[in-house]
Amino acid sequence: MRALDRAVAALERAAAWLVLPLSLLLFIQWPLRDAVQAGSREANDLAQILFALYVSVAVTAATRARSHLAADLLAHGYGAAWNARLARAAQLLVAIPAAAFVLFAGAGATWTSIVQLERFPETVDPGYFMIRFAVMVLAALVLVQGVLDLVMPRRGAH
Amino acid sequence: METGGLWMLAAVGIGMVATGLPAWIVLIGVSLAFATGGIAAGIFDASFVAAIYPRLIGLLENDLLQALPLYVLMGVIIARTPLAETLFGAARSVLAPTRRAAPLAGLSLGVLLAPMCGSVGAGVAMFSRTLHPHLAAAGLREERSMALVCVVSTLGVVVPPSLVLILLGDAMMRAHTEAAHIAGLNDRIVNTQDVFHAALVPAGIFVALCAVVIAWQARGIREATPVRPTRAQWITAAAATLMLASLLAGVALGYLYAVEAAATGGLLLAIHGFATRTLRREHLGAVLHDTLSLTGALFALLIAANVFTLVERAFGTDRWLAQLFSGLGVNAVLAAGLGAIAVCALVLDAFEMIFVVIPLVAPALLTRVPDAPWVAVLVLLILQASFLVPPFGYAVMMARSRLGTRVPTPALMRAMLPFLAAQLAVLLLALAFPGLLWRESASLAPSTPPADAQTLEQMLDRIQGEPADDAPGK
Repeated sequence: MRALDRAVAALERAAAWLVLPLSLLLFIQWPLRDAVQAGSREANDLAQILFALYVSVAVTAATRARSHLAADLLAHGYGAAWNARLARAAQLLVAIPAAAFVLFAGAGATWTSIVQLERFPETVDPGYFMIRFAVMVLAALVLVQGVLDLVMPRRGAH
Repeated sequence: METGGLWMLAAVGIGMVATGLPAWIVLIGVSLAFATGGIAAGIFDASFVAAIYPRLIGLLENDLLQALPLYVLMGVIIARTPLAETLFGAARSVLAPTRRAAPLAGLSLGVLLAPMCGSVGAGVAMFSRTLHPHLAAAGLREERSMALVCVVSTLGVVVPPSLVLILLGDAMMRAHTEAAHIAGLNDRIVNTQDVFHAALVPAGIFVALCAVVIAWQARGIREATPVRPTRAQWITAAAATLMLASLLAGVALGYLYAVEAAATGGLLLAIHGFATRTLRREHLGAVLHDTLSLTGALFALLIAANVFTLVERAFGTDRWLAQLFSGLGVNAVLAAGLGAIAVCALVLDAFEMIFVVIPLVAPALLTRVPDAPWVAVLVLLILQASFLVPPFGYAVMMARSRLGTRVPTPALMRAMLPFLAAQLAVLLLALAFPGLLWRESASLAPSTPPADAQTLEQMLDRIQGEPADDAPGK
């Protein structure tokens, strides 16, 4: 489990850098469109893939960093043990089943898309299958993090 | 069981407050529970839940949402570098002859940076750190300083092209499409650019009124002569102001796409940080990590809201609300819709409002009041006012927590009242004079008469026989 935890952390660190090429690609769209008048749609499609991969890791990164928005009007008065129990119940009853359902519902379509190397419908650029793949990564990471939080809960986790 | 969506909303409110769990977990939990109940009770069949996967794909391939991490990156860089302080110092020096330099410089800083902050919460965090100590040192009373921090933090709600406006524009576009489908309207569907344009004039009036309020509140304070910025600070402040103002204007006027402006801003801020060594390599990891986790927090909410609205639609609450509104006059519909939004906004952040409440209320509202840019602006003004009303306004609660002050509510209320009055004045102006809004195209003017009750019922009957793409199979 610790190895899995370290693997998720490493993936998180690597994915965090994606925002820089994403910014660069979206920035160069502007001169490509207005000055070069070519390549802006390709830059946009590539940016779309990076964006999808970025947010697929970001949701779990927010869970690990406890950055999710929450209203603790009453909960800040609860004891740490009660909060931890609530957090584990939420993982067991909500996050894990929801992620498992998305994996189950999307696995077939994603696999077909990968096998066919599905292209972007509007531009016919390659790589659209990566968007579908990113949904699977997102759900898989939520599921893995849910299991990690159940097995080795983080201090003050919510 | 068409009221299911309203019960879901109530369950989310109670669940969030009672458990303190992340909003996205509560939203998905409530959605799953109600979906299970709906399927078990035979209200809809199980096949509709398969629409969750294509909805997630839709989120990941949404061009507009690419702006989200970029705005967050800009906000994180601004918060972690001394740029805000530099801008504030320069503005204070420029405004020194007014003898109200600190609070007016604070307002200027809000106009420039609040649209870049990402959210009201992030705005409160940044302005509490950069603005509050200077305002206190300038002799502004604590409750007035806190009120100003709250007001400038919410400027991103109305000043384009903030992330809140981008996402509200997207939500209004979806709501308008749905309303046009339900009521058979032929209007051009509103887009994000329309909402930016429509928000410009009311935002300008509000900022001008705030300047008047600040000048009045700061009368009699004796500000020490501010320390003059160094030459390098002047250059930085001028360049940053020019860059930020150009980007904001470029997007608001339609020369730039929001994502391109955000990407340009993020890159330029990073380059500036490295060039001036205010953003060191060892801090870059933290900046990138903060950006990733804050983006994840917003995106999780977006996912959860999509699941929530899917289940709410399965119950038919959106159609039920449209039918309910069809029996009311336009003024009553506006009052009911905007009132509901105002009440919810007292405890929910702008993003929770946009992702959860707006998709439920706005389509029904737009079936009767099809002037979508106008409705969007009214929603924005109501949202901003709701964040500012003590003691439960979101910005007020956040500022209290950030500043750690114990300003009594009556004192804060007195300090906030002139700003709320300014807000009310702008709201009344916008309500009374829809022509005040800047509209890109005449076709977005309120030309189409609202659907009458009988027509709407016929439309609803017809639509209920033709399920939408992700509507339940039954």
